Amino acid sequence: MEIQGKILLTFGVLSLLTLALFVVVAWSSRGSPKDYAEVQPAGYGVRKVWFWVLLAAIVVAFGLSGRLSPYSRAEAAPDAVSFPIVARQYVFENIPEVVPYDVPVVFNLTSIDVNHGFAIYDAKDRIIGQVQAMPGYANDLRVTFKEKGKYIVRCLEFCGINHAFMQGSFEVR
Amino acid sequence: MSASTDSFPVRRIMALYLMTGLALVVLLMVVGLLMRMSQAGWIRLTSVDFYALMTLHGAGMIAALVLCGMGGLWYLIRREVAMSASLALWAYGLAVGGVVLVAAAAAFGKFGAAWTFLYPLPFLNPTWPAWSIGAFLVGMTLIVLGWSVWCIQMLEAVLRGFGGFRGVLGWDAVFTPKAFAASGRKLPPPQVLPAFVIALDGLLAAAAASLLGVALLVHWLDPSVPLDALWAKNITYFFGHDLANFIIYMLIAQVYVGLPAYARRPWKNTRVLTLGWWGTLVFLLLAFPHHLYMDFAQPVWIQYLGLGASYVSSIPVAVVTVFGGLLLVWRSGMRWGLGSIFMYAGMAGWILGGIGALLDATIQFNLHLHNTLWVPAHFHTYLLGASFLFAIGWVFAMLEGRSENPTSSAMRWTIGVTVLGGIGLLVATFYLAGAASVPRRYDVEPAPGPVFAGWGSVGAIILLIGLAVAFFEGMRIWRGLKQARTHVEWPWSPEPATQTARSGGGAR
Repeated sequence: MEIQGKILLTFGVLSLLTLALFVVVAWSSRGSPKDYAEVQPAGYGVRKVWFWVLLAAIVVAFGLSGRLSPYSRAEAAPDAVSFPIVARQYVFENIPEVVPYDVPVVFNLTSIDVNHGFAIYDAKDRIIGQVQAMPGYANDLRVTFKEKGKYIVRCLEFCGINHAFMQGSFEVR
Repeated sequence: MSASTDSFPVRRIMALYLMTGLALVVLLMVVGLLMRMSQAGWIRLTSVDFYALMTLHGAGMIAALVLCGMGGLWYLIRREVAMSASLALWAYGLAVGGVVLVAAAAAFGKFGAAWTFLYPLPFLNPTWPAWSIGAFLVGMTLIVLGWSVWCIQMLEAVLRGFGGFRGVLGWDAVFTPKAFAASGRKLPPPQVLPAFVIALDGLLAAAAASLLGVALLVHWLDPSVPLDALWAKNITYFFGHDLANFIIYMLIAQVYVGLPAYARRPWKNTRVLTLGWWGTLVFLLLAFPHHLYMDFAQPVWIQYLGLGASYVSSIPVAVVTVFGGLLLVWRSGMRWGLGSIFMYAGMAGWILGGIGALLDATIQFNLHLHNTLWVPAHFHTYLLGASFLFAIGWVFAMLEGRSENPTSSAMRWTIGVTVLGGIGLLVATFYLAGAASVPRRYDVEPAPGPVFAGWGSVGAIILLIGLAVAFFEGMRIWRGLKQARTHVEWPWSPEPATQTARSGGGAR
């Protein structure tokens, strides 16, 4: 399963659990009411546990996100093949026709007009990585292609009237 | 403060803000529907029209929901502390004047640089006339001015009414709780916390917006004056993210007051609630860098600051406010009217949107979700599926609280299922399309975007039908109140907590 599918699954499971909790609580309100002072102590106990669980989840997620972020990955591939690419309304200039397979590659992005995005779509039309192209700045996107075939690049930062048609492609082999 | 402004009915000011905001929201829902229908291929908008409507939809919705929050919170604080009605009307006039200019720029000038108007997009090779850039920027400036007036008035009122920073922040209750309890003093009512936090953070955001606005206006007048694109982007999102985020934190004040009336239990301010809002005060301002994760030129520590703030901002929401709402309802013998249904469902929407947002705010996931339809998915969940529901829930709470002619069970189910079901279908198609990597802000989407756009349109149509039914039901209740000449002041509402106010405003 691609990462997007896993994210969607995570979202779906957590959402269903949330909705179930809201339904259960709403349902509980239908019976004879209890005095608020009676339910508060147990509720505050649950809240304390919930606080520590959420805080622990946040600490773990923060640590993992830092370790797996594209920034740390960028530093880990100093011997990559570099492709400088210039974005402008509504083309990507210098996109290579062929990109090497299973070799660290750097797409060095800048823009000569407005902000653009540079998102690489695989054969299943899923984003495998992206970076912004910004006037006056250079952004490096590092990728190692593990599958051969045709890849499409789409602009993902709104850049004007033909934004939806700003795209390019390359072959990995 | 003049006698004439004091005598202006306080509730009418809230109604003015709320009705203007809600009317704009519904109008802009139709605009959003047209965009989704065009993406689905049901109708064909030209690119020029699509992006002009997209700009109008984005800027207008933010302004419209901010108006709802401003009016609702102003009313709740005015119940406790005297405030000038004329100043509130000035804030309203400036903000609405700004919306009119933004609408004119989009409708007549076809200005289509999106509501974020990222520099230098408005100025480079535009398909819109120069006057529309000025109209849009001046319009946004007026909105910020109106917002600033509201923030200043709100901040002054809560500080005056609840013992300055020390009193509003509950300093003594937090650090010397036993002495505070022994003194017999009480914390301010809970709605004071969002009023204070949003007014203070709102002024900081407005200052940033003013800086950016001046820079852009100078560039508009003299294009040879360059701006730094990364600086402009940071400032844009510091203001834009904050303002969009303020909406839900403003409207939760209506839930703090409205939901207890249905549960017949009090929602009191506590040390925990106060501490939660201390966190929100800080986290609200620091989360914006998650919009710039894909700008690798940004210093990495700022990205992690955004990541950390985005994550921990969930604690005050999930552990304090929404948990408090659930505990309030738990085994309460809740009275389920349309007001409580919408407000309760809105809290669920806040959590669902938050889950979507936190996934997107994770840098590794953002690499795959940034600027896909996952982004509108999560912000529609908490703007439409939470903030908007809080606002209409409050309207119904005001009506139902004074009515002796309640909505029938069948009608509640009809409205609940259509409104919530429509929202659910609409946002679900955004999430699914986002997970399928469909880009956002494309007038013509690659497959499978059009399929999801079609189902999203169906969801929007169901929602609009549900809202139409809810509108007529609301009118029925309102006419009943008029005919009965009922002047009951919401008998089951918690009384204004004036005991801590140094200058109480009795008028409602």
